[in-house]
Amino acid sequence: MDVSLCWRPPAWTVGEKRMRTAPTLRRLLSALTLLHVMVQVNSQKRGALRDLKCTTNNLQVWDCAWKAPLGAGHGTVNEVCIDDRLHSCYPLEKGNVKIPALPPGDHEVIVNYLHGFNGSSAKFILNEQNVSLIPNTPEILTLSADFSTSTLYLTWDDRSCAFAHHSKVTWEIKVLRTPRMELINLVTFNTTLNGRDTVHYWRWTSDLPLQCATHYVGIRCYLDHLHFAGPKEWSAWSPLMNISWAPESEAKAFPQDKVVLVGSNITFCCVSQTKVLSGQIGKTFYPLIHLYGQNVAIHIQNISVSENSGTNVVFMIEDNVCGTVVFAGYPPDVPQKLNCETHDLKDIICNWNPGRPTGLVGPRNTNYTLLDSFSGKSVTFKRFETLTNESYQLLFQMPPHQEIYNLTLTARNPLGQSESAILVNITERVCPHTPTSLKVKDINSTVVTLSWHLPGNFARINLVCQIEIWKPNSKQELQNITIKGVENSSYLVVVDKLNPYTTYTFRIRCSTEPFWKWSKWSSGKRHLTTEAIPSKGPDTWREWSSDGRNLIIYWKPLPISEANGKILSYNVSCSSHEEVQSMSEILDPQHRAELQLVKDDYIISVVAKNSAGPSPPSRIASMEIPNDDLTVEQAVGLGKKIRLSWPPDPNVTCDYVIKWCNSSRSEPCLMDWKKVPSNSTEAVIESDQFRPGVRYNFFLYGCRSQGYQLLRSIIGYIEELAPIVAPNFTVEDTSADSILVRWEDIPVEELRGFLRGYLFYFQKGERDTPKMRSLETGHSDIKVKNITDTSQKTLRIADLQGKTSYRLVLRAYTDGGLGPEKSMFVVTKENSVGLIIAILIPVAVAVIVGVVTSTLCYRKREWIKETFYPDIPNPENCKALQFQKSVCEGSNALKTLEMNPCTPNDVEVLETRSIIPKIEDTEIISPVAERPEEISEAEPENHVVVSYCPPIIEEEIANPAADDAGGTSQVVYIDVQSMCQPQARPEDEQDIDPIVGAGYKPQMRLPINSAVEETAAENDADSTAGYRPQANVNTWNLVSPDSPRSTDSNSEIVSFGSPCSVNSRQFLIPPKDDDSPKSNGGAWSFTNFFQNKPND
Amino acid sequence: SLYLLSLLLPLLSPAAPISPAEPISQAYSLALYMQKNTSTLLQTYLQYQGSPFSDPGFSAPELQLSSLPPAAVSFRIWHALDDVERLSRGQEAFLALSQHLQLVGDDQSDLNPGSPILLAQLATARLRAQGLLGNMAAIMTALGLPIPPEEDTLGLVPFGASAFERKCRGYIVTREYGHWTDRAVRDLALLKAKYPA
Repeated sequence: MDVSLCWRPPAWTVGEKRMRTAPTLRRLLSALTLLHVMVQVNSQKRGALRDLKCTTNNLQVWDCAWKAPLGAGHGTVNEVCIDDRLHSCYPLEKGNVKIPALPPGDHEVIVNYLHGFNGSSAKFILNEQNVSLIPNTPEILTLSADFSTSTLYLTWDDRSCAFAHHSKVTWEIKVLRTPRMELINLVTFNTTLNGRDTVHYWRWTSDLPLQCATHYVGIRCYLDHLHFAGPKEWSAWSPLMNISWAPESEAKAFPQDKVVLVGSNITFCCVSQTKVLSGQIGKTFYPLIHLYGQNVAIHIQNISVSENSGTNVVFMIEDNVCGTVVFAGYPPDVPQKLNCETHDLKDIICNWNPGRPTGLVGPRNTNYTLLDSFSGKSVTFKRFETLTNESYQLLFQMPPHQEIYNLTLTARNPLGQSESAILVNITERVCPHTPTSLKVKDINSTVVTLSWHLPGNFARINLVCQIEIWKPNSKQELQNITIKGVENSSYLVVVDKLNPYTTYTFRIRCSTEPFWKWSKWSSGKRHLTTEAIPSKGPDTWREWSSDGRNLIIYWKPLPISEANGKILSYNVSCSSHEEVQSMSEILDPQHRAELQLVKDDYIISVVAKNSAGPSPPSRIASMEIPNDDLTVEQAVGLGKKIRLSWPPDPNVTCDYVIKWCNSSRSEPCLMDWKKVPSNSTEAVIESDQFRPGVRYNFFLYGCRSQGYQLLRSIIGYIEELAPIVAPNFTVEDTSADSILVRWEDIPVEELRGFLRGYLFYFQKGERDTPKMRSLETGHSDIKVKNITDTSQKTLRIADLQGKTSYRLVLRAYTDGGLGPEKSMFVVTKENSVGLIIAILIPVAVAVIVGVVTSTLCYRKREWIKETFYPDIPNPENCKALQFQKSVCEGSNALKTLEMNPCTPNDVEVLETRSIIPKIEDTEIISPVAERPEEISEAEPENHVVVSYCPPIIEEEIANPAADDAGGTSQVVYIDVQSMCQPQARPEDEQDIDPIVGAGYKPQMRLPINSAVEETAAENDADSTAGYRPQANVNTWNLVSPDSPRSTDSNSEIVSFGSPCSVNSRQFLIPPKDDDSPKSNGGAWSFTNFFQNKPND
Repeated sequence: SLYLLSLLLPLLSPAAPISPAEPISQAYSLALYMQKNTSTLLQTYLQYQGSPFSDPGFSAPELQLSSLPPAAVSFRIWHALDDVERLSRGQEAFLALSQHLQLVGDDQSDLNPGSPILLAQLATARLRAQGLLGNMAAIMTALGLPIPPEEDTLGLVPFGASAFERKCRGYIVTREYGHWTDRAVRDLALLKAKYPA
């Protein structure tokens, strides 16, 4: 049992994997040997060895040790001898003996005791397999730390194992941490010995910043020697070395300014001398992990991306804070869309997109390096701030004569790097700069040269440039040209087929072969090509003047495409067979010339000139070829055009000319002309001058050897309109049953179309008939005649009634519509037979009646006398009658008036008037209300006013039944108050009893206002002029207008101021001018009444 | 900045006015103008430093910089100061502030390179501090006092300061810039009353 401790098996854990079949066998053998030794030892009854253990650390010397047998110390041992061939003996040292390594196999070892133990010896068998290989303890050379990265650096050498060449050594390193010296890390590290002292390095990064705690490191080794048969064991641990942070007086947090990957776990600690209260990352507080002393830590998992200035970690201490910043971000993304091209084959410009943002800025921002692996050149891009949504760009200067580049773009930041690469043939990636300094130079009027500058080293490639040629009013034209590239130079091309005297705008852009990209368009360059001689002579026409002596030559300005420049003048000349007449030069804006010709037959030629020279001449014969067979045709246009057509004429050799003019214009009539080729048979004439409703004359000429013959004459309208006037017509003859009408032509200007006929309407009707029926209604009594024969100028209308008024209407019409109408009233003549009969019959009747009457009257003359002329009594016998005699004579109901002592002062007024409808109070307010003022001003001193308030008696003499019905005639008698004595009455005497004071009671009172009274009075004055009052009304005294009697009009009994009895009657029709006092009085009382009435 | 230039002009002119009223008035106007913007500067600064700096109501009065004299002073001591002491202390402070603002600007161009607003405000504040410094020198000249020599108040700046230290440093500087401006307004108001125009 004790011995077995010595044979502890080596650490299998290390060598386990390398154990194969042979070592396993060896192990089995060892076990057998052990058993053997035990037997051996046990067999030694005396001096048996205890705890025998043999080890080696260099394979050269075995070191065996054992405990002395009971009762014997080591000092008693003399020597140790090995029973081998040499029988060598080794002295025993302090309980162990060093024996040189023995060859394989069993060796008997004899331990000789010096004395004691009965002078005996002990034996044991020793085999290599019983010897353990334990390397010497390794030694740490250095242990250092990088606190900023929390990294430990360890160095040691393999001196302790140097003897075992080519053996594998396994090193084991342990890291311990305060305060509890817990094992933080245990790593193994394999090396192979090479026989020299080799220093080994080991690096380890701590998750907890090294400043936060003291870290200890130890090392041991295990030597796996192939040729050693015995067991192998780990060496002892080296002495621990430590790394510690000398804390400052101020609290500090660690790690500082660390850049970490988003999502990683990280521990922060605060090294403090005083108590830390809390720890937070950003806004979030985390539980404190106590380290040793006052040091604490917090741990965050899955850290999120930081803002630009980093994520703050803050520990609150009692009287201070300590903190640190961590930058959490991403390693750079692979640069995307890397694209390299060149503008000038001097520099390569590479663009790329950075991809996902790293979240890191400033010194932590990504930097980019562009490396060309062929040339080995590189450029670096570094910016502090991050460009957002922007492509990055690097300029790489091209080495000369290199075309193919293998460009690698590497992105780096503290968290990592990434790259993307591109292989380019740069001559295929050329996007030239914008061409500059575009210049145009004239060669001639149709050819120019274009030159431009294009910076770039294009000496080895071809350029393809595109020229845009643009002239006004036409589509732009593109021309592609290929030019051999040169270095940094100007380029020149010829552009031909241009039009003379035309403003062109040129621009240019370039690309290279093979095509990659177009450059931008250069700025446009305007250029006017030079002039050339006009390509044609002007389009010429001639007309004879109205007197036939002068020839007027017309020509049209040349179109710009034929003028080829600015036309300065025209030369007009005429020639006959014999002579060439003088030429005249007409300056440009004038396009006609008048020639005085002595003969008829000339050839006129017109030449246009510009600065480049004269045009070919246009020739025209002055004479017109006569044509006897000429017809006039009609034509109507469409829109603003008119189409004319004619049969083909083989005689026409040059061209046709259509000239036209306004038919109402005087000669020579020429608006315009148009030439059409000789093979055409129709022409469409179009002009802005054409107006609808205007008649135009078109003349078609055919040309034969410069002479023109009129072929057709056409009258035409662009559009027909209705006539604007009606034809003037007159009645030529009228009979009892017919009318002959004659009318005139309408002038062409007012006709406005081809006359198609007339419409003639007639109907019975008087001139004064307020409303004649409209002609269009087609009423049965309107008769219409349509006259389609436009040459007809008269019309006889028959079957009319005699002595009847007729209304005649005439209208003209064209295809454009009906014109206005003109009407006339005509009365047919009387039938004479009827007239005679109508006169004779009444005359005959009258004669017969006269004769009969005379006869009868003569025979019955006595009866007639008695009947019609009886004896008339003498009116002089009628004493009482004071009136006109005539009245008395005609009346059978005469009355004799009784004589009274008192002078008759009664007046009876007989009046015939229509009933006034009941008058409302409101209707009389306005005329009455103003009256008092008039009175007070007009008669301020008249205190005694006429107290005449007429008691009106209404007596019906008409049918009483008619009383109810308004508007019947009535005879009204009005009793008038006594006029004997004017009663002076104070105004304030108002309280007189009406009953006591009543001298006269009228049978009926008629409430009537003064206005009515006035009207009545006026009427009477006019119609009954025969009745005149006998008394002078001016002498009458009127009752005071404001007397109580007047105001008290509501009362049934009206009293009058006069005490006189009334027994006489008098007809009273007061003069008009005397009405006002009475009316005023009435009005006054009504005013008072109205003033009082609201109080009632 | 035109306004600022006009305030700086007397500095550049060698013939300083003899009456102290004008430089005092100019310095006072500038200090008043600065006072309007100090809190904005501090708020902008904190806003860019992340939580907890950017948290509403953030305040850490215990943080101080040894190289920057604190503006806080007891009223009794402040009241007992004479004009010369007041001016020289203010001058000393604004000299230190202008240098520190430069340092903070450099720090922030590392931490917040993409924040031109903050960087511009820091630069402006520094320019104003220098302007006020110049105006104070003009006052001292007008009062016939010796102008203290410019010192390197920063001394050996710890260039290896951690990001957290830089943030705190910037906070203290922008805070003290505000406090010192407030104090300068009071100092100059007192002087202005003493030397009316």
